[in-house]
Amino acid sequence: MSASGPGLTVGEMLRKHGVSRRGFIKYCTATASALALPPWMGAAMAEQLRNAPRPSVVYLSFQECTGCFEAFTRSFSPTIEHLMFDIISLDYDDTLMAASGTAAESALASVMKEHFGRYVLIVDGSIPTGASGAYCTSGGRSAEVILREAAKGAAVILAVGTCSAFGGIPFADPNPTGAWPVSAIVGDRPIINVSGCPPIPEVITGTLLQYVTTGSLPDLDENRRPRAFYGNSIHDRCYRRPFYDEGKFAKTFDDEGARNGWCLYELGCKGPTTYNACATVKWNGGTSFPIESGHGCIGCSEPGFWDKGSFYTAQAAADFTKSGETRPLEVLEFAGATLTVGAVLGAGSAGVGRLRQHRSELDEVAQNDKGTP
Amino acid sequence: MILDQADSLAPVQRVATPEQPVVTPEQQVAGAMRGFSHEIGAMSAFRLESCIHCGMCAEACHYYIATEDPQYTPIWKVEPFKQAYKREAGAFAPLFRLFGWKRAVTADQLAKWQHLLFDSCNLCGRCSLICPMGIDVTELIEQARRAMFDAGLAPKELYRKAQHQLLTGQPEASDEPYREQLIGIGKRFEVEMPLDAVGVDVMLCVPRTDIEHYPEAVAALARVMSHLGVSFTFRSDGLVAENYGHYAGSQAWQRAISLRLIEQAIACNAKTLLVPECGHAYAVLRWEAADLYGKPLPFKVQAATEYLAAALQAGRLKLGAADVGTATFQDPCQLVRKGGVTEAPRQLMKAMGIEVHEMADNGMFSFCCGGGGGVVDIESAKPLRYRTMETKLREISATGAKTLMTSCSDCRHTFDDAERHFDSDRSASSLLEIVARNLVDEVSAP
Amino acid sequence: MTLDLLGFARGPALKAALAIFCAGVVWRIAAFALLRIRRDLNRPRTSMLKYMSMGVLAIGTRSWPHPQFVKRTGAGEALGYSYHLGLFAILLLFGPHIEFLGSLFGFTWPGLPSGVITGISAVTLTLFLGVLYRRVTSRVIRMLSNFDDYFSWFVTMLVMVTGMATTAHLGARYETLLALHILSVDLLLVWFPFGKLMHAFYIFPSRAINSAILARKGAPS
Repeated sequence: MSASGPGLTVGEMLRKHGVSRRGFIKYCTATASALALPPWMGAAMAEQLRNAPRPSVVYLSFQECTGCFEAFTRSFSPTIEHLMFDIISLDYDDTLMAASGTAAESALASVMKEHFGRYVLIVDGSIPTGASGAYCTSGGRSAEVILREAAKGAAVILAVGTCSAFGGIPFADPNPTGAWPVSAIVGDRPIINVSGCPPIPEVITGTLLQYVTTGSLPDLDENRRPRAFYGNSIHDRCYRRPFYDEGKFAKTFDDEGARNGWCLYELGCKGPTTYNACATVKWNGGTSFPIESGHGCIGCSEPGFWDKGSFYTAQAAADFTKSGETRPLEVLEFAGATLTVGAVLGAGSAGVGRLRQHRSELDEVAQNDKGTP
Repeated sequence: MILDQADSLAPVQRVATPEQPVVTPEQQVAGAMRGFSHEIGAMSAFRLESCIHCGMCAEACHYYIATEDPQYTPIWKVEPFKQAYKREAGAFAPLFRLFGWKRAVTADQLAKWQHLLFDSCNLCGRCSLICPMGIDVTELIEQARRAMFDAGLAPKELYRKAQHQLLTGQPEASDEPYREQLIGIGKRFEVEMPLDAVGVDVMLCVPRTDIEHYPEAVAALARVMSHLGVSFTFRSDGLVAENYGHYAGSQAWQRAISLRLIEQAIACNAKTLLVPECGHAYAVLRWEAADLYGKPLPFKVQAATEYLAAALQAGRLKLGAADVGTATFQDPCQLVRKGGVTEAPRQLMKAMGIEVHEMADNGMFSFCCGGGGGVVDIESAKPLRYRTMETKLREISATGAKTLMTSCSDCRHTFDDAERHFDSDRSASSLLEIVARNLVDEVSAP
Repeated sequence: MTLDLLGFARGPALKAALAIFCAGVVWRIAAFALLRIRRDLNRPRTSMLKYMSMGVLAIGTRSWPHPQFVKRTGAGEALGYSYHLGLFAILLLFGPHIEFLGSLFGFTWPGLPSGVITGISAVTLTLFLGVLYRRVTSRVIRMLSNFDDYFSWFVTMLVMVTGMATTAHLGARYETLLALHILSVDLLLVWFPFGKLMHAFYIFPSRAINSAILARKGAPS
């Protein structure tokens, strides 16, 4: 872990590691284009970065599985991404740091004090509030308390992973730990949600890079996710889309359609309502993504994805139950119940109709009996 | 309400019938609602529910075709009925009433609809053929007319005739009772007119229009029956074929009038009640009488043309060539669209070697003469009727046929009336009369 | 779990709408089908087998006017049927719709490519506008028309328009458009039992029963 604060600039750092200026500009241009920024931004980014003091970054992990952090550290190209560690000053991270116990706590405290108002706070994992916060504590302090304190001095908070962005899997029904996303706990700091379970590594680093170079928030969608990576649905960028449009769907995971790479809509793909860069940036340095590997998108970058319905039932299927799935028996019971209610009401109406009619018929018969026309 | 023997022989010309009761608007609405309520059943409700407001029925109705006036759209004629149903009897009727989604029928509405239901509808049945939902619109109109009767809004001409027929057996007073006139026709045309016989095969009734205007047709009927060698009779207490109770819209009176014929047919043990040339009389007896009687009729009801055509097919009737030139045939609506008697008259005409030039709208699509449903009796309906008849008359002219033939005395009467009005020479001949003139004996030549 | 608009539209709202639809349709039909049925005591002209089969035949034959009437009514009929065919094609032959209906009925069927459905939708939309034009300009039809006619048209139109906007991503986020589309379907389902859309259930039995009654008399239909 490098020391924080002034010292070598990013450019000096890169020079030290043998990265040519040309190589660095190429990287920045590629990142800028991935962020859908105009071409001149690449050069500007490079210039900025070269001269920038390495910003302080604090990485806090709460109720998480560490998948997001693993993704962060597994950005694929070792040369450039590895350098990101040197571009930023990762001043505190539970998982990586050597210190522990009170030494670790005092390190955090000193970083927050020294760089108050300027550090980037990265959070992964949801924040449990149940049992007075006992589900996730560090040094006797609950996640919520730690977050609130850390947030006070953060210039920006990156909520990395669906758990910190939207509550994720712990947040799913019945949410036994009382888990909440970062945005539910912190209301007064800028938050960028980099959702995904986990997010694509390049998306995490690209978002961080943009903030670090521009000092401002990227263009965000309604869910506070960078539009550069989350602006299109998987469906709208999926290479299997022509099959969807032609009506060619795989019906099982090993039928002819599946083998021919047909659309996985009927097998539960949530591509149409999932926003992420999986279909374009892909995973493992552009190797593949779930749909390409033959499994439908499970919508892991969306709020409430776990509760939103079966991963293996088509999205357009009727959603009757809390769990977001409907079984044939349920439909039959529903139909039976409603049709019976209707029949009873209808018989009632007909009965009332007949009664009223009978009364008026009786009037007429009575009239006829009197012999009047 | 059956008259006993003594009453039927009494002179009928000066019976004082009570005036049609005057009813207040409130009574009209109450009566109409009572009537509508009585007419609601599964079938009528289903028909009222099924209408999708497509307006196609207008295109089948000769009143709309002639005037292009939307108010003559057939289903529009039953709009108050539909309104009352939705408000009073449909599934969500309480909601309709509570939120005022359908207004209550008003007396003004009923007054306006009297014209639509009685003056501008012959109950011809064309609208029922065109509806894409299959609705029998004609049935609904018949039902609505019955409710109008209950409202006291039956046209006065129809009401008077119906009441007169109920009380005396004749729709109108005549100088001589029909019974006597019948006997006179027999003498005049030298035809046997058996009266009040029992144990016969066939009981005959007679359109009073024929008795009054076309006596030769009455004679022709008897002549043909004699020729066939069938035992038949007329019955003094059941002479008149038409049922003015039906025209006026009173089911009670229709029932009483039909019962007269039914009881006479039972009294003479007839196997068949034969209805000569009258469309409505046939429809009422063949397709409505048993329901009013309360059980299936113990005899067959047949129209003259179908009876004769059957005899023709069986070889019991032989006909010679008729000298009428080219002919076109006016299909009585109630025979062709209510009873399926379309081929019978054509078989008879073919057997007589008559060259038939069909009208553009013939057979099941034939336009009504304009007089059906009692319209020919309604004074206020005349201007509209003449206007509507122009369509029919144009079609007849277009055939280029020399003779217009029909087998309904009311059609004949309507065409004769038009002849006077339009100052044309288009009158209708009776098929029965022409058959009677061309009977061929097995043994001797004509 | 808190529901977003889409979750609400396809969850509780759809369930409630389907419940109202099922109960309402049966209620409406039972309310008149269980009314008095008049026995016909008159001697039929044809056998029961004959007149019942004539009734069933009429379901097909009444689909198009008799040749005698076609000149006056053919164009209007054709317009009406065409948009119905279009609506059925869109409803029954579009992938996501097949999935939805399949989840209710337990089986699916092959559909048409989405592009074809888009084309059909465009044509159907145009025809549907044409039908409204006809309703307000024809004197007969305008006179007959009431709130039910216009609202049923509107509710159906809304479903079509929101559906097309959803596939075209036109005007808002996809999820919002999809939620609006499903909400419009919910509205249609709720309205269905109360208006003229019920003719979908009436049409076949009405043609069959009315024609059978006429065929019993030997009368044409």
